[in-house]
Amino acid sequence: MTLLMPVMMTAQTFKIKGSDTVLPLSQAEAESYMKKNQGSAITVTGGGSGVGLSAIISGTTDIAQASRKMKMDEKVKMQEAGKAFKEVIIAYDALAVVVNQANPVSQLTREQLEGIFTGKITNWKEVGGEDMKIVTYSRETSSGTYEFFKEHVLNKKNFATTALLMPATGAIIQSVSQTKGAIGYVGLAYLESKVKALKVSYDGGKNYILPSVENAMNKSYPITRPLYYYYLIASEKSVLPFVNYILSAEGQKIVQDQGYVPLKK
Amino acid sequence: MQPNPNMKNKRALLLFAAVSLLTAPFFKSTAQETGRTGLDTLPAAVEKLQSDYSVLSRLKLSGYIQSQFQLADTAGIESFAGGNFPAGIDNRFSVRRGRFKLAYDYSFSQYVIQVDVTEKGVGIKDAYVSFTEPWLQSFAVTAGVFDRPFGYEISYSSSMRESPERSRMFQTLFPGERDLGAKLTFQPPKTSRFNFIKVDAGLFSGAGPTVIDFDRYKDFIGHVSLNKSTRDERFKLGLGVSYYNGGWRQGTKYSYSVLDFTGSGTNPLYGFMIDSTTTRVGDKLRREYFGADAQLILDLPIGITQLRGEFITGTQPGIEKSSVSPSTQPSTDAYLRNFRGGYAYLIQNIGQSRNQLVLKYDVFDPNTAVSGNQLGNSAGLPSGVKSTSAYDAKYTTFGFGWIYRFNSQVKITAYYDWVINETSSNIVNASTLKDLSNDRKDNVFTIRVQYKF
Repeated sequence: MTLLMPVMMTAQTFKIKGSDTVLPLSQAEAESYMKKNQGSAITVTGGGSGVGLSAIISGTTDIAQASRKMKMDEKVKMQEAGKAFKEVIIAYDALAVVVNQANPVSQLTREQLEGIFTGKITNWKEVGGEDMKIVTYSRETSSGTYEFFKEHVLNKKNFATTALLMPATGAIIQSVSQTKGAIGYVGLAYLESKVKALKVSYDGGKNYILPSVENAMNKSYPITRPLYYYYLIASEKSVLPFVNYILSAEGQKIVQDQGYVPLKK
Repeated sequence: MQPNPNMKNKRALLLFAAVSLLTAPFFKSTAQETGRTGLDTLPAAVEKLQSDYSVLSRLKLSGYIQSQFQLADTAGIESFAGGNFPAGIDNRFSVRRGRFKLAYDYSFSQYVIQVDVTEKGVGIKDAYVSFTEPWLQSFAVTAGVFDRPFGYEISYSSSMRESPERSRMFQTLFPGERDLGAKLTFQPPKTSRFNFIKVDAGLFSGAGPTVIDFDRYKDFIGHVSLNKSTRDERFKLGLGVSYYNGGWRQGTKYSYSVLDFTGSGTNPLYGFMIDSTTTRVGDKLRREYFGADAQLILDLPIGITQLRGEFITGTQPGIEKSSVSPSTQPSTDAYLRNFRGGYAYLIQNIGQSRNQLVLKYDVFDPNTAVSGNQLGNSAGLPSGVKSTSAYDAKYTTFGFGWIYRFNSQVKITAYYDWVINETSSNIVNASTLKDLSNDRKDNVFTIRVQYKF
């Protein structure tokens, strides 16, 4: 229904803050929106889902972008601040597990991924690769991507204490591209040719699926998640035109162009 | 003799050359600096700002002020809704809290000072240091003056609490909430799947936050809690158990305990029996509590619903006319009572509006051995045995409240405490404040405005 609504084009000034996963999408949408709305000024910054949600509670951002749902404690804080909010799913994202281009391993099961990231599997030869130590990279704990990967891939088990926690997705791409035994995970939109995305199996090795927008849209790729915008109802007048723009056909095309998964084809 | 003009020019030239040589480095330096463009100096300025900010960001200032007006049913009543009303007074303005908290976080340590400034004076509320070990990041030591780790309501800040005051049980057992001592906390870091477990255990003076310990006995307090949310973040449950084991030094020769003097149990007659077989001066009077707490938060279409409850039972050493934990050595004989108390909250936010409704049930029985007409019954008690009194009566309080939040700083609370005392035909007009012949008129209405930063 929203997709069919006409997008209001008015000059607005507001801030978006939060998830680094959503950051490139918000930037692309904001640039396109500002071109169409001369005089609009949208500032987009990252920092992690938790940072964005804290910012909307404290009133230092107008929209919190998040790659996870708002936690109960955050909802209670919003309530204590007397702030009514809305949650909108703007797109979906698929998480890609990446290794160094020189690594011959090209596919892993969820169980193998769990073993690697929890530290039970420490050498690539244990999963059909070379005799080489595995170096695991993860996002920091404030990241929604970290929480999603832990919950859905590691079955809530702890990351290995040897896992290197990186402050941003770009740092994971960089590190994995430079370390032969490295493995990490990134949002699909961050995939670059200097790293190799692995096929993943969630059925014990019967079917291995490559992370791609198409596979995420046809739901064959299992590691997908919704991406959220949270905004205050009190700010609705200023932010809603932009939110509606993202939900429009034009906005959803940008979603796909940026490597994310649109809400509907 | 007139100076040769050539010589004069040479001297001037030499002087200029010398000055130029001596000042050249300064001119050079100045020339370089003034030659910097805005883009050159920007990184240095940003770096300095970042450095300054990283220091300042370790320092956190917070606080709140609560100003209120209260109206009591009767002038001069005893009350747990902010303290007794003075004789002849049934309404009052007061600044309940004027808190200012300074916290400094650095690496794995934290330093906290909190003061309270009201019309009653200035007092230190918190003064502690806390260190977390850097390896597992699961163990922390805290030392100083801080909240006693017993139950849930103690450490739930009054700036957030929905009722104006803590329950009667906590005001009696833990006046001031805080104590002097040290505790060890175990909680796995957020990266751990066991982050939902928290264990606190410590030793405390037992006398309260702002006094020097009056005995050599130290009290143990322990609390274990579990907190979990569902995956969709619509349901959160917290559970906890607590234990307190300590006591205070007896300052006089005698102590009293409650006994049934019929011995039958079917028609008991309770009184306080003196233990005068030997001097008890210096003995440890046992103080032992067992507690359980639970918190449930539901995100429902009608708004966030919270259910909170807590129950404590145990043995409390007090004096004849009070069960409140003493902060100084009592000068009168000790009375040991078994007590029981608890509270339950239902807090309902109205959708996502700024309105919240509160219902609270609060009960405290300082002496579980006696009830109803057994209170104050002295007929048939042996000589030397003291009867129980109004200070052994159970109190039940129903609270009804409405909270409106203007924004994250300002909220207003309107709350009515309906206080019901246990009645006994044996304590009639003992005093206007302690008459148990009927439910006394001691309800209190509170309207409070709070500013928090």
